[in-house]
Amino acid sequence: MESADRALLERKVRKAFQVLVLQRGRNPGVKGWEMKRYLGRDYRKIVDVLSEDISGLGLEVFEVKGADGTDDASRFLLRFKEPPTVSEAETSGIRIDDLAVLAATIAFINSKQGRAARREVEQFLREKFPKWRIEYSLDRYVKRGYLEQDDRTMLHVGWRTRAEVDEKTLMTLILSRAQEAPKK
Amino acid sequence: MEEGRLEELLRVIELCRSVESSSANPFDVDIKEKILLLKSRLPEWRFLNELLVDSEALLELTQIVKLQDEWLKHRASSLYIDPLLIQLKVKLLPKEALTEAFVKSWHPVAQVDQISPKGLERAFVYWRDLAPMAERFKDEFSNYGVKPGSVDYEELVSLGVFTPSQFEQGLKDLHEELLEKSNGEWIDYMEFIESPEFETRVLRAYLLSFLISEGRASLRTEPLTGRVWTTALSEKAKGPSKSVAISIVGGT
Repeated sequence: MESADRALLERKVRKAFQVLVLQRGRNPGVKGWEMKRYLGRDYRKIVDVLSEDISGLGLEVFEVKGADGTDDASRFLLRFKEPPTVSEAETSGIRIDDLAVLAATIAFINSKQGRAARREVEQFLREKFPKWRIEYSLDRYVKRGYLEQDDRTMLHVGWRTRAEVDEKTLMTLILSRAQEAPKK
Repeated sequence: MEEGRLEELLRVIELCRSVESSSANPFDVDIKEKILLLKSRLPEWRFLNELLVDSEALLELTQIVKLQDEWLKHRASSLYIDPLLIQLKVKLLPKEALTEAFVKSWHPVAQVDQISPKGLERAFVYWRDLAPMAERFKDEFSNYGVKPGSVDYEELVSLGVFTPSQFEQGLKDLHEELLEKSNGEWIDYMEFIESPEFETRVLRAYLLSFLISEGRASLRTEPLTGRVWTTALSEKAKGPSKSVAISIVGGT
């Protein structure tokens, strides 16, 4: 690769990192059409190079497919390559109870084929959590994009869950942990 | 007869909506049967409202087909686990184990939520060019931001709030009302000026203040309780006067 091409690539990779790391708007991440505008039509190649570069820092560029499945509707964001530890999650100010509510809700929604009435979710969670915490947590997670609530008050898994949570791993862990429970 | 036929369609709509607003299995709705029902009834519809109900039923059925599609996709995905099994296991797990499962499958988004030098510069330029509040709304609200002040009788007349004759008549009526209600006793000031409309309450307080200034009524305050009493005087009072400020709050 010629030095001019290399310099251009490096500049574009730097630009891609800046675009992805700085929050613009309410939700994190950058849409595909924005990436095209900032980096040009070959933005996917730039994203691949960037993803490799930041791998050493424990980060990766992750793509969340949009509703229509097109490149333009996809959302690109930087995320941790490996999950944090529980103590790291705790030090970031997130309550254990809140995360447990989210974990149980995602599992419940997935068990209902991806959609569940909010009242059913609340009823399910009430066995483990107080009512006020359930309502507060669900509202908060809807607001932050982890859950979606439609006009029929049906809850779905939100785009942020699809971006941050490996749902398959979560379901497997829940199942395997439950199997360990009787041994205790 | 017509209502009975429409009732069938309304039942279809109701069934679809109940499935849409719950996590019931969308395959519980027999789409083929419902479509055949709509098809058989279609030639009978003559009025617009009947056709609208028919199209609404068809729309609801398409929503169910969409749900069936999502249901199948989810079921075919690796995320499908028997609902009862997963619900039972979630119930068995302690909160800590649920949290641990979540954290182990969590890849938090890494993002800097702070202003950039460019953003800071834009904010500075915006602030520098921003007109003061008093000037910004001058055209829309000419007296916006003017501090509360006093409006005297002449000003109210010049503003057309009332004419001199209306004012005099209002004073006379209020004095008579106060004479009648107080009957030589002290009565509660707030109760006397009370009115459902805030504007009327203010007007009564304003007129009463004139009666008191003219010596045709008197005012007594209780500093400990904060209550204010008033009474009508048949003859003009003499002696030193004292100024009292009473606030009238809207909505009380």
